[in-house]
Amino acid sequence: METPEHTHSLQLSNQIDELSRLAETIDQLQVQWQLPVSLVMPLNLALEEAFTNVVNYAYDDDKQHLIELEFSLSGDTLTVSIRDDGRAWDPTQKEDPDVSLPAGDRPIGGLGIFLIKKLMDKVHYQRIENKNQLTLTKHISQ
Amino acid sequence: MNIQTRQQADCLIVALQGRLDTTQSEAAERQVNEALASAPAKLIFDCSQMDYISSSGLRIFLIAHKKMTASSGSLRICCLQPSIREIFDMSGFSMIFSMFETLDDALAG
Repeated sequence: METPEHTHSLQLSNQIDELSRLAETIDQLQVQWQLPVSLVMPLNLALEEAFTNVVNYAYDDDKQHLIELEFSLSGDTLTVSIRDDGRAWDPTQKEDPDVSLPAGDRPIGGLGIFLIKKLMDKVHYQRIENKNQLTLTKHISQ
Repeated sequence: MNIQTRQQADCLIVALQGRLDTTQSEAAERQVNEALASAPAKLIFDCSQMDYISSSGLRIFLIAHKKMTASSGSLRICCLQPSIREIFDMSGFSMIFSMFETLDDALAG
């Protein structure tokens, strides 16, 4: 694997309020790494969904946990991995919702992981040393 | 997120401004529910100033749709920014909602 040209680490605590720091980081990286402006919204959305899933469902206690994000850019490939020490859970196994259903039959919710998969080019899950690692990959077209 | 409501003719216009993310969605849902409590016959969400949405925000639109359908009211959405329109398309929401390019179109439609 080639060495990434840029990397950036971000640690967030398991609080929904941390989403503002996530959004700020994405804005900063867009400028520093000269990413297309059109990438900001889908990247932010995919990472928000991944992060909120961890905050809302991964932990069985009320303690503070750190969720580690690692951004890297290599050529035109942007990769973000999200690591948490919550219970083992592979979101990629969740069944996609049927988005063709009429409104009355649509469940409220259940779109988050589906949107991650639609917005990113690759979504990969691994359980490594008692941590969940979700890796999102996006090929950038300028 | 800032939410402004105003009445125009027989229509209640709810303007959503800013980011509709998970940190904002609870307060936004409460405000939208307050607007719906008056059981308006016609409701338009003006999204011209809404520049971000996540699944927690989409949820609010779906809840509003269910409530308006239950009260036999009409719900329209106008002025979605292109990046948000893409999210509506992906989610199948573009097929569920009556969507308009401009507020005037939504009022007339």
